[in-house]
Amino acid sequence: MKKERSKKYRALQLIRILSQTAFFGLFFYFLLRTHFTGEDYIGRVEVFFHFDPLLAITTAIASRVLFASFILAAVTIVVTLVAGRFVCGWVCPLGSVHQFFSHIFKKAKLLKPRKEDKSRSRLAWKYLILIAVLVASLFAVDLVGFADPLSFLYRSFATAVVPVLARVGAAFTGLLYGLKIPSFGDAAAQFFGTLSLNQTYQQGFFLGLLFLGVVLLNISKERFWCRYLCPAGALLGILARWNVPKVRIDMEKCIECNLCTLHCQTQANPFPNEEWRSSECVYCYTCAAICPTKAVRFPVKATPEKIESINLSRRKLILTSALAVVAAPFFKITPAAKRAAARLIRPPGALPEPRFLQKCVKCGECMKACPTNALQPALDEAGPEGIWTPVLKPRIGYCEYYCSLCTQVCPTGAIKELTIEEKIKVKIGSAWVNKSRCIPYVLGSPCIVCEEHCPTSPKAIKLVRTEVQLIDGTVQTPLAPVIDLDLCIGCGICENKCPVVDDPAIFCTSVGETRSEKNRLLLDIIKPETQPGEPSDPYR
Amino acid sequence: MNRRDFMKDLALGGVVLRFGPSLLAQAGSQPDMAMVTGESPAAITTAALAVLGGMKRFIAKGDKVMIKPNIGWDRTPELAATTNPEVIKTLVELCLDAGAKEVTVMDNTTNQAQRCYARSGIAEAAKAGGAKVPFVNEYHLKKMALGGEWLKEWEVFTDFVEADKLINVPIAKHHSLSRLTMGMKNWLGAIGGARNQLHQKLDEAMVDLAAFFKPQLTVLDAYRVLTRNGPQGGRTSDAKLQKTVIASIDPVATDTAGAGFFDIRPEELVYLGIAARRGLGQTDLEKLNIEKRTV
Repeated sequence: MKKERSKKYRALQLIRILSQTAFFGLFFYFLLRTHFTGEDYIGRVEVFFHFDPLLAITTAIASRVLFASFILAAVTIVVTLVAGRFVCGWVCPLGSVHQFFSHIFKKAKLLKPRKEDKSRSRLAWKYLILIAVLVASLFAVDLVGFADPLSFLYRSFATAVVPVLARVGAAFTGLLYGLKIPSFGDAAAQFFGTLSLNQTYQQGFFLGLLFLGVVLLNISKERFWCRYLCPAGALLGILARWNVPKVRIDMEKCIECNLCTLHCQTQANPFPNEEWRSSECVYCYTCAAICPTKAVRFPVKATPEKIESINLSRRKLILTSALAVVAAPFFKITPAAKRAAARLIRPPGALPEPRFLQKCVKCGECMKACPTNALQPALDEAGPEGIWTPVLKPRIGYCEYYCSLCTQVCPTGAIKELTIEEKIKVKIGSAWVNKSRCIPYVLGSPCIVCEEHCPTSPKAIKLVRTEVQLIDGTVQTPLAPVIDLDLCIGCGICENKCPVVDDPAIFCTSVGETRSEKNRLLLDIIKPETQPGEPSDPYR
Repeated sequence: MNRRDFMKDLALGGVVLRFGPSLLAQAGSQPDMAMVTGESPAAITTAALAVLGGMKRFIAKGDKVMIKPNIGWDRTPELAATTNPEVIKTLVELCLDAGAKEVTVMDNTTNQAQRCYARSGIAEAAKAGGAKVPFVNEYHLKKMALGGEWLKEWEVFTDFVEADKLINVPIAKHHSLSRLTMGMKNWLGAIGGARNQLHQKLDEAMVDLAAFFKPQLTVLDAYRVLTRNGPQGGRTSDAKLQKTVIASIDPVATDTAGAGFFDIRPEELVYLGIAARRGLGQTDLEKLNIEKRTV
């Protein structure tokens, strides 16, 4: 038998790599573009998420509401129904990351494809993860954000990869100045300045480690995540029923070398032919390109046929569902829902807390968009369900008055899209003065920094002459800040800019936030009467 | 700038330093200050410079010029929190026409720099005029001896020190600590570090900074002035149209004259008193040659 590899499938393989590179590039371009670009409205930089049927389905179930933008997920569903898991192999940016590193690890001889692992049980993991996520969403607990590939990738990039890039960029810029080529240094500094890359995230180190860990799993098995863990891949696997292009092995040419199955990226088992798992195949064409005798082909066959799919034992299914049923209340054992947390300041436009948790997929889009780095992945602020959901940390950044970027980029509507005019009316919390730390109240000297930065007009921070007794017994009457809670929007710029840096003398808490009916300070009925649309204004 | 020009400047500078601004005020027929009122920010700026004897009085051929507006806040020009973009654009053009080699417009903003540069309209206008409009670059920060009475040293953006000529273009605004913020307060945008800590002795800090930077020309934008809720405003009703620019060689006199747009007597501004005591400029406008015009 003449040994010759197929040029056609080698070409298809290269086209597939181009496609993966292009889609990853697009994903990364949209990620880098998710910042203030000079315009108030940013466009649909979050569009990748809307093609994800897993996010579409789970958030719809968990929140009992369909979000219109997810109509695009229908495209992915239709493609998969007809052609199989092309999207995993040709489009998914996380899949491309895994394939890239699998390739690197193979070249480095860290990953050695061994004789096919006959046990299929690990392939079933991802289906069980999918079922757990779906069942939990039935109980209105949205766990998809922890496992969805796009959420995982975006969150890892936004909170770990981009900050690392930013810091490497800064070090590089510093190096250019160190080498006494300041014109290059200036160019680099302006370039990185234009990208406005956020550099600081709480948990960024751990989120980065998690990402690194998942990448390193590829040393154990090629595309480990895609094979064993990905719930979105599992969903597409279930949808892949027709698979118009089907793998066929010409047994007259086949020398039974088993290379195709050995190098299959997702354990779809092209050989023996009748054991091909159409639900696992991502159409990477590695098998057809690697075959030494051109025996493996993908002819188009419209006829459905018996499909070899993953056998999920009923026992496991029931067990997983039962676990998910338990998991739902398990995630709720927390005082978080009992009363509003003072430091849980959500982005403007965030839905009321229970609704917010049902919709937020922890993707980190809002955190990437935030111009002041204020939005941070929560750890314990919002209970277990709320891990990695966005929380505004005034000590890191503040809410820019004329900015509604986070509301525009939220892919699920957990943060309601707002115009600038709508956004400036939203109150996300209230500011409080800690008189035992505030410079005028304690030292009797002037400061006014909080008042100066307060963005509302009239200002929510008023300056009042206050008698302060100093340590020598003398009395000073400096201007000291007092908050008008009707006007305060909780943006946090006062806390951020307070010169008492370690523990600011003015700070924001969530009370009074527009989105909550319970986290109130004063009922409207007992507020002094003001004319509608006329906030109290001492200047008038 | 060639060596001969440098020697000339040095000699002239020596004379100016020796006899102080008061002598300069009386020297020659050129006015020390122009106050021009009119409908168009560009036209009144051009006219103000013409009154002072043209931009060539300040700019030599081949100069690198730094223009320092107030771009501190993420506000539109109508809200009068930032310098009028037309004024900046006109000054850029005048500098280039006068032979400047390069004109840079920049400020260390308070809100996100990209936002302030965009919404103030200054980045677009200055670029259209032919200027470079970079963001401040932390690598250009240098701790410098300011030689002030209170501020001995602080981190300064060297761009403002290294330029051949410096033009300060503040906007006249209400401020709850210094009462008004105009030219001298504008220098807080040329420095880095923990600027918010200067507020504990703001008047002294402003004077020390003004003494350090010494602009060749100050152009106070009072096309719109901010009368309350300073220094950001927020409603158009916080701003008041005055349709005026004041251009002067004397940075203290500019701020003194600017107080006239508000119900504030110059004597009430503590920093003007300190500045006058230190001989930085004139607070007695009677002693200056001021020309007022309407175009």
